[in-house]
Amino acid sequence: MLGLKGTMTIIDNSGALIAECVNVLKAKSTPGVGTVGDEIVVVIKRARPISHNAALSNIVKVRRGDVHRAVIVRTKKEVMRPDGRYIRFDDNAAVLLNKKKELLATRVNGVVSSDLRMKGWGKIASLAPKVSRYYFRPRSI
Amino acid sequence: KVEIDSFSHYRIYPSKGRLFVRGDSKVFRFAGHKTERLFLQRKNPRKIAWTVLYRRMHKKGLAEEVTKKRTRKTVKHQRGIVGADIAAIAARRNQSTQVRTAARADAIAKAKAAKKEKEAKKAKPVARPSGPAPKISKQQMKGGKSGR
Repeated sequence: MLGLKGTMTIIDNSGALIAECVNVLKAKSTPGVGTVGDEIVVVIKRARPISHNAALSNIVKVRRGDVHRAVIVRTKKEVMRPDGRYIRFDDNAAVLLNKKKELLATRVNGVVSSDLRMKGWGKIASLAPKVSRYYFRPRSI
Repeated sequence: KVEIDSFSHYRIYPSKGRLFVRGDSKVFRFAGHKTERLFLQRKNPRKIAWTVLYRRMHKKGLAEEVTKKRTRKTVKHQRGIVGADIAAIAARRNQSTQVRTAARADAIAKAKAAKKEKEAKKAKPVARPSGPAPKISKQQMKGGKSGR
């Protein structure tokens, strides 16, 4: 449940550390609260210092004050699964995107919620080292 | 699939309870608000009297579990050895005491007879001069060098 001013950690290797939510992108005009799998607009509040070497590499390094899109991957507020199960993490986390819904960075650290796959962010889920896999997939009959 | 509560070890049926992923990626399951709260307050389940861990530690209600234990008896099989097959062993075992004593008496009689024979044989060769062989020193036998 991340809304305006909600902070989250960025768990990819783009260099950003903490981001703040500025807008939640949803089709309807529901109150801007984002949950796992929602795309939001963030401002980078804290980023890792960019060394000279890093600037030469391919990874786009973000700076403080950059405005980017991101997708939420972990929330402290529990999320319901279709089988009635709830899952909750210890923190809020997101992964940066560009406007084409592609990942900005190349790697993802830590656990991500497997609700991502449900909402269409399968690529992020596959990059993550660990996906919380307690996820009931309805079998097709 | 029925899960187990991480705190109380109760069963969590599907669609009940919550799953909590901690910062270090450890997963905890809670059957409900009660266990979740206790866990987050960092209570030790071994001190909370209604949890399974406590009961195990204090050995409560284990009487039912103990009776279930059945000792496994190893069944001994009789096997024949190379020298005596099973029939022979069984025959031997099933001999009555009378038969045995009779057999023993027979054996004793035989042994005595044999002994007598032996002694008789021994008596004869004693007449032969079988004194100790003449002492020849080792050197002479080996044909060693003459002492000069």
